[in-house]
Amino acid sequence: MPTPGFTGKILLVDLTRKEIGRIDSDKYEMFGGGHGTAAAIFWDLCVAPGNWDLQDAFDPRNAVSLMTGPLAGTGLSYAGRTSVSGMSPQSWPVNWFCHSNFGGSFAPVLKLAGWDGVVAIGKAESPVYINIVDDRVTLEDARGLWGLTTWKTQEEIWRRSSVRYGQEWQELEKGHTIQRPAIVTIGPAGENMTRVAALVHGGGSGAGQGGFGGVFGSKNLKAVAVIGTGTVKVADPKAVRDSREWWETRWPVEAEFPGPEGIVHSSCMGCRGRDCRNRNTIYGRDSDNCAESTWYAVAPPAKPTAPEVQSRSADIAQKLGLNAMETCFMGPLAFDVPPDFPIQPKVPAYTALGWYLKKMYDLGVIGPGKKVDTYPLPMEDYEKAEFADIYGLAIANRIGIGDLLAEGTARFAEKLGRLPDDFNTFLRLTAWGYQDHWSMPTVEWCYGNLMDSRDINNHDMSLGRKENVSCEQFVKILSAGTTRNEPFWFDYNWKEDRAYKTGIYSDFKAQWVAWRQHYATYYKESVLFCDWAFSNLYNKNSPDGMGYTPEAEPRFLNAVTGRNHTFEDGIEIGRRSWNMKRAIFVMQGRHRDQEKFAGYMYRPGASYCGFYTELPIFDGAKWEWENCRELYLEDKGLEQWKTHFYEVEGWDPQTGYPGRKTLENLGMKKVADVLQANNKLGST
Amino acid sequence: MASEKRIEDKKISRREFVVGGGALVAGGALTAAIPRELSAAKKTDKSEYPLSKGYLVYDSHKCSGCLSCMLICSLVHDGEASTSRSRIQIDRNVFNPYPQDIQIFVCRQCPEPMCVKNCPTGACHISTANGNVRMIDEEKCIGCGTCINECPYIPHRTIFNVAANKAMKCDLCANAPYFSKKGGPFGEQACVTTCPAGALKLVTTLPSQKDSKGYDRDLAQPSQPVEPTAAPKN
Repeated sequence: MPTPGFTGKILLVDLTRKEIGRIDSDKYEMFGGGHGTAAAIFWDLCVAPGNWDLQDAFDPRNAVSLMTGPLAGTGLSYAGRTSVSGMSPQSWPVNWFCHSNFGGSFAPVLKLAGWDGVVAIGKAESPVYINIVDDRVTLEDARGLWGLTTWKTQEEIWRRSSVRYGQEWQELEKGHTIQRPAIVTIGPAGENMTRVAALVHGGGSGAGQGGFGGVFGSKNLKAVAVIGTGTVKVADPKAVRDSREWWETRWPVEAEFPGPEGIVHSSCMGCRGRDCRNRNTIYGRDSDNCAESTWYAVAPPAKPTAPEVQSRSADIAQKLGLNAMETCFMGPLAFDVPPDFPIQPKVPAYTALGWYLKKMYDLGVIGPGKKVDTYPLPMEDYEKAEFADIYGLAIANRIGIGDLLAEGTARFAEKLGRLPDDFNTFLRLTAWGYQDHWSMPTVEWCYGNLMDSRDINNHDMSLGRKENVSCEQFVKILSAGTTRNEPFWFDYNWKEDRAYKTGIYSDFKAQWVAWRQHYATYYKESVLFCDWAFSNLYNKNSPDGMGYTPEAEPRFLNAVTGRNHTFEDGIEIGRRSWNMKRAIFVMQGRHRDQEKFAGYMYRPGASYCGFYTELPIFDGAKWEWENCRELYLEDKGLEQWKTHFYEVEGWDPQTGYPGRKTLENLGMKKVADVLQANNKLGST
Repeated sequence: MASEKRIEDKKISRREFVVGGGALVAGGALTAAIPRELSAAKKTDKSEYPLSKGYLVYDSHKCSGCLSCMLICSLVHDGEASTSRSRIQIDRNVFNPYPQDIQIFVCRQCPEPMCVKNCPTGACHISTANGNVRMIDEEKCIGCGTCINECPYIPHRTIFNVAANKAMKCDLCANAPYFSKKGGPFGEQACVTTCPAGALKLVTTLPSQKDSKGYDRDLAQPSQPVEPTAAPKN
């Protein structure tokens, strides 16, 4: 019997051979589901055989997986996201193994159909979609869907079934349902193998980062549709419901995006209500009120883009299946800068593709008659709503300059011959070509980007000043929440000796980053807790300020799985999966020498688009809030921090390779053997 | 047995009866949903059945479409989470304009419950011990599907558990073995306690039976409070 919360089987689809197979989930239980399990499967399918160089994400041998977590479909909140894993075409300059995830209902429905995940390898001869109806899985002809938007694709798949969803009870394999299939699909951006293509489910649940839409396109895989009439078994049904109520009562939900009066919010399946999506807006319905909804917001000095124009444009990005974060025009905010800063008059939250395009145009690098023409983009109409339509279509269909833009910001800049210079000034891509994203001065975010393979997008690292709590008390609360009780993990000293002793280059910061990567790899990417809600070390609605981390995570998991795991057990599972990922990176060529930030991170202004800038500083006697907006990194400091980090992880400080002892202690002797056979085993 | 005879009379197999029943009802009455509801309402004038002491009402304009109520419903009743076994059903199509993007279907605890009236074994009954809620006694249910086919609403509100070969329906959590609270019309309902949008509510007076508006109501303003009625002693 599978562990409750798991169905016991993962679907394996070989698109080249048109074969439907299955993988026993139990074999990977030590990785906890989701991204952890996906990493281990990727290792077994793609790395261990040693038959390719792991460089091209569009190679048919790339395994792309959609995985659920153990809590999906149980009725617990914030825990039903779908993890996406595989080699990423977006990462620059290497197509690192990467992850993304999306909300909606896909993961719960997949579980109800009896599957813990779907892994697709190979490439279909012509467009297909995977159709999952409980245990029955078929490859369906998708030639008639190719070219359709993500929204039309979903509606067309529903229409093809001739079922009157919501009216008619269908009898399927395990039961009856009035529900419609949950579908994740690509739009034209994915079909044309852009590196900025998202997977889109519903109206606006998308997995953008990583560019997995292009991977689907490279496989001629248009969509995965699933409907399930089974059940999700849990160890203790009473405890599941009660734990949800316990959580909601003790830590009342705080609306992230309350919106104007009259807004009706929509939710992912099982959500207790974070209010991050809308139901009753004409445009932008079901789009997360974040990167998608602000996709087309042009930067100062242009006039602020009207909210209705932004919402309408969000629909364009969703329909075309574009990665909104990577292709957006500035992000939701812009920040003041000194007069001599290379970006004027304000620095945008993200110097993403839309913004960088305009910058290049303004500098005369591109444009009509230039070496790189801007056809078909009407650059003089950049601030008009219609521009967003043309821009999106040009990228998604690789028309004119859209063909270059479709390669993503870093590769576009490279093609223009602007690297590395622009990385030193105004192209703020922290690492691996990913946008700066509140990643400074809260350095654990940017350090995480560097050690992982993308913008880690962990909003729970928003450790800026909180009202109604002293700095010292805040640090105590955070320390207690991690269970390690180490206040110096939260010291943001960044100047002189203190930076090296207890601050951002210290062993303490290495421990903290390691801990939070282990936390995120398990609890956020494998259990699939929503990033808006987990972790929660501090909670202003709690009388003592303590958040629900570390209580809620094991309570929910144990109610479902019955494993009686501690919070620390989860951290250890995360460490195992994190090391599996590290082994994959190393086999792809990752080495200590590569792990460096873009040049702007070592210069004043690195933190100018930081959202949370007032951070705890220990002055030798007491804790004080200090505005760290001027924080930037020293190369020497980063190198020291890396050495600490590798040592904390049990990796070779010279190379960054994991050592045998580390891997064997985590039950991964075979991984160590493969690394050794390839001369990539660390000496630790 | 009576139920089998009844099926024989209709000259359809039990499988068609159970499974196709909904589809047949839907197919035949899709364009005539309101007339069917009206016809059911008419019968209430001369109802011989005691009214339920509680009714689940909802606000489809307020629902966030999370379906938590569905998963929790099956969880507290069956110990397993499932949308197919949920007594409350929600259909969500994000591509439909608001408010047509969400439809909610609940058992109406009908004044003249056709499920009760036509059940051949008495499994589907009115529970006086639980405030006259219309319930199904699993021990007595033979899985004939009569209650499903006789439900006048679309989609039918009595549902079928294939694994157990039993019919199921909303009992306002009167018999929810995995619910740690007291359920039923005098207690709490798992779906109501779970709904993060406040889009579900228990009321004690019979909603209008004219159409769905009696049940699909504006819950933004405080409507009639749930009166703490004492449970009957027997």
